[in-house]
Amino acid sequence: MAAAPLLELRGVSLAFGGLKVVSGLDLHVAEGEVVSVIGPNGAGKTTLFNLITGIYEPDEGDILLNERSIVGLEPHQINRLGVARTFQTLRLFLNMSVRENVMAAAYGGTKAGVLRSMLRTPGMRREEQEIRRQAEEHLSFFGERLKGYRWDQPAYSLSYANRRRLEIARAMATGPKILLLDEPAAGMNPVETHEISELIARLRSEAGYTILVIEHDMHVVEGISDRVVALDHGIKIVEGTFEKVATDPRVVEAYLGTKAAVTK
Amino acid sequence: MDTFTQLTLNGLTEGSTYALIALGYTLVYGVLKLLNFAHGDVFMVGSFIGYGILKVLGGAGDPQVPVWLLLTLMVLGGMVGCAVLGVAIERFAYRPLRDAPRIAPLISALGVSFFLANSFQLMFGAQQYNYGIFFLDGGSLYTEGFNIGNVHIPLIAIITILSAFALMVALWLLVTRTRTGKAMRATSFDREAAAMMGIDIDRVIVFTFIIGSALAGAGGVMFALRVPTAASIGFVIGLKGFTAAVIGGIGSIPGAMAGGLILGFAEAYIAGYWTTRWSDLVIFSVLILFMLFRPSGLLGQAGIKKV
Amino acid sequence: MSQPEDLQEPSGPAIGQDEWVARHGERRSRRSGWIGDIEERARRAPWWAWLVLFVAAFALLPLVSHDGYVRRVAFETALYMTLALGLNIVVGWGGLLDLGYVAFYAIGAYGYAMLSSPQFGIHLPTVVTVPLMVVVGAIAGFLVGLPSRRLIGDYLAIVTLFFLQITQTVLVNGDQIAGHDLTGGANGIINVDPFHLFGHDIAVQHEGVFAVAYLYIAIAFFAVVYVALHFLNDSRTGRAWRSLREDALAAEAMGMPVNLLKLMAFSFGAATAAFTGTLFAAVQTSVFPLTFSFALVITVYTMVILGGQGSLAGVAVGAIVVNVMLEFLRDPGDARILIYVVGVLALAFAFGRTRKLAVLLAAVVIFGFVAHAVAEAINPDWVAGPAANGFDQALSNWVIIPTELANWVGPVSYIGLVCLALALTLMSPRWRYVVLVPTIYLGTFVWENVLLAQPDATRYIVLGVMLIGLMILRPNGLLGERRVEIV
Repeated sequence: MAAAPLLELRGVSLAFGGLKVVSGLDLHVAEGEVVSVIGPNGAGKTTLFNLITGIYEPDEGDILLNERSIVGLEPHQINRLGVARTFQTLRLFLNMSVRENVMAAAYGGTKAGVLRSMLRTPGMRREEQEIRRQAEEHLSFFGERLKGYRWDQPAYSLSYANRRRLEIARAMATGPKILLLDEPAAGMNPVETHEISELIARLRSEAGYTILVIEHDMHVVEGISDRVVALDHGIKIVEGTFEKVATDPRVVEAYLGTKAAVTK
Repeated sequence: MDTFTQLTLNGLTEGSTYALIALGYTLVYGVLKLLNFAHGDVFMVGSFIGYGILKVLGGAGDPQVPVWLLLTLMVLGGMVGCAVLGVAIERFAYRPLRDAPRIAPLISALGVSFFLANSFQLMFGAQQYNYGIFFLDGGSLYTEGFNIGNVHIPLIAIITILSAFALMVALWLLVTRTRTGKAMRATSFDREAAAMMGIDIDRVIVFTFIIGSALAGAGGVMFALRVPTAASIGFVIGLKGFTAAVIGGIGSIPGAMAGGLILGFAEAYIAGYWTTRWSDLVIFSVLILFMLFRPSGLLGQAGIKKV
Repeated sequence: MSQPEDLQEPSGPAIGQDEWVARHGERRSRRSGWIGDIEERARRAPWWAWLVLFVAAFALLPLVSHDGYVRRVAFETALYMTLALGLNIVVGWGGLLDLGYVAFYAIGAYGYAMLSSPQFGIHLPTVVTVPLMVVVGAIAGFLVGLPSRRLIGDYLAIVTLFFLQITQTVLVNGDQIAGHDLTGGANGIINVDPFHLFGHDIAVQHEGVFAVAYLYIAIAFFAVVYVALHFLNDSRTGRAWRSLREDALAAEAMGMPVNLLKLMAFSFGAATAAFTGTLFAAVQTSVFPLTFSFALVITVYTMVILGGQGSLAGVAVGAIVVNVMLEFLRDPGDARILIYVVGVLALAFAFGRTRKLAVLLAAVVIFGFVAHAVAEAINPDWVAGPAANGFDQALSNWVIIPTELANWVGPVSYIGLVCLALALTLMSPRWRYVVLVPTIYLGTFVWENVLLAQPDATRYIVLGVMLIGLMILRPNGLLGERRVEIV
């Protein structure tokens, strides 16, 4: 008997004005899985992430984390329950240092209040050191790319690929169970793309995260996914292994148009 | 019943002035997403320009030109002068900050507001300036008119209300029926996309400021026809104009007009039936409630942001 | 270093080279020459260095000057510095445009006045009132911040501004609330008790001179707030505030309760303002509603922005610069020579120590004498204005100071000056250089004849211009970090 999925969406729908962005979506991610979400632009993928993380509230349906409904909760509460994400367009704290970006994300799991902070009690100082140590640990996960001397530099001085890595490190610092990665390989050259695939694999195997990925680059999707979900116009059209989904005529039609599907 | 009529008249007169200011706010906010704090002070400048023209043409006691020409020149002068001022403000205080974070042009606007109000205080002192319209043409602007019940509707009120409405209708036609108006609306939806469609953003913005400031200038002159003006009135008038714009729905032109009238009526009734002491307080509180529970105002639209 | 093997091992940077390359941004942003050295040293200094500097300066001041006026100005400066620290929390760390900040200053001042004066006959001890007002301020800040949850930038600014208006209206009309006199109305509350510490009433005047004790109390207030805020900034709360300022959505997604953090920022700012307000009321021995005006808001904002929003030391420096400048503009008197010195220094800064600067200054001087001579020839009354002392006499041979000014001269010359200054920004450098000469001369004319006549308006004009200029030219102020924003 399979354990209940870590994350589950049941019949989720959302409309903006008259436009239905997500329609009757069922999705589940089991613990330890790596699931990819694919689909043409406008298919509702980022909206899916926004729904899960609480930025939008669904009009219908339910979203469950560990069998507990998270609909209606504030985004920071959902994060505390174990959901962390990165953003398609990168939303770093640019004017803060690399280390501070990661340390900031540890807020939810720490508890030194304002009074203790102002008085700098020993308990607070210990917690600060712990936050710092853990942040450096998360950054070290990325090896040579985010090396020591970079930690004091402002985030805006990082290269594009490093910024993407930093966003992932920051998400890790919130101590999540599931990572939502929104187009982690966007804008990367083939070498960096390959590194990202390896990174995602390591995130699962070494760090034990469950991962839900939105991606366009099919090489990455092929390399990392246990399962692939294809969306179009807010509806799930196919789900299954990469081979199954990539060759499904409906998916081809969604990406390339009807004629391509027919000729395939 | 008479009190009600009188108060309604007051409300209508005040309200049409507020509507003119609110329109300026809404137009600029729509195109730049900026609350032009200096708008109320542009209004004040308009009233001073009107005063200057009045004095040059002989003053209320001894005008050198017929009354209707005098009033027209004053209003036109106010409109033109304020339009120029508005363009200058946009060019020097706002345009350099067009790509800066939202807070920057806001603070710059605060600086402009302060600069204008205190510059006029520097040049003309802090005292009040009365147009003295009461004495114009033997007071005919006040004695002429018609009556509803026991309440006398003076000519000056009729002129004010009708002119304000005429300007608003003209604006409405401009925005909905002309290409420039369409460009303005496009820019207010998505500036980058509008630019990519070949719309000259700078010109649209300048044009918006011209219109908005001209309306404020007209409002300033009409306001000062009834109430003495001073260098410091811009601040409170600006707040009230902004209140009207938000109540009506910022970004919506009919909303600004409606908001202005509503505010005018509210002020008149509260001051008439209760007390002027607390009328400001009530209005400000109403505004805060609006912003909390219905930030899109009565006629505005809630925006959808893409994350 | 670009050999084929590197492609298979992308994660093997050449040791030493990669880091050197990565650090080039730091090297480039460092300014050359001695300014760069100073900035570098300032950046590396320990955080308390600035605090020690401030405290030492204020502590030593009474030894240097026995002038009551100077001590009074120093006291006010210390008050402003603390006020600026509080505003920095809300604006510099939280990124919230709180235009009603001064209302909390009023709450602290009026609260103290109501509890320590004949107004209600209550005379609570100082050690009770001051902490009480801090708490009241914090609560008030929390309540006012509640609407901020749903409001973004501009709307928040307006709501807080309205709160200030409401506060002022209540204070002015508070002598007739349901028949009770709560706030003393437009006449305020007078005969407020001075501070009572260690068993002594601390008199405000000591032998007719401003009491040094209050100067020390004021700088102590500042130091306490400074230390507390520094520690708070260097904690998870401070990081969360700064994250909120950077990108509120991302902060929320990373587990930081953004709404609660905004409320905390409001609370702390308000508490600081209220704290300062109590001291203000005690020293003024009275409180009036009109003191807590929008003009005061603009003043504190200018301090924060000039000093550098986000930097504690910065806003304190900003407070000192702005308050000293305002004090100077209140009644320049003998210190008028300073404005010319500042002007020359500003030009020197802009042009560097080059021949261009010398030529420019010479041209201005010559132009002045010529204009003066021409004016004198046309009508001697045009240049026969009053001259108070030696410097003025020399100056009045250069600047045109008429015995009396026709009504139209002031406004026309002022507007002309503004238009010329604006036009200068549009010209090409060559033309700018040429037109600068008459502009400067006109500037001195306007200064001597128009601006000095109305110091009240002048000081606020300067503030307004500073705000506009800072936003356009140097939004990070004096000590703030240069920020990168994605809009």
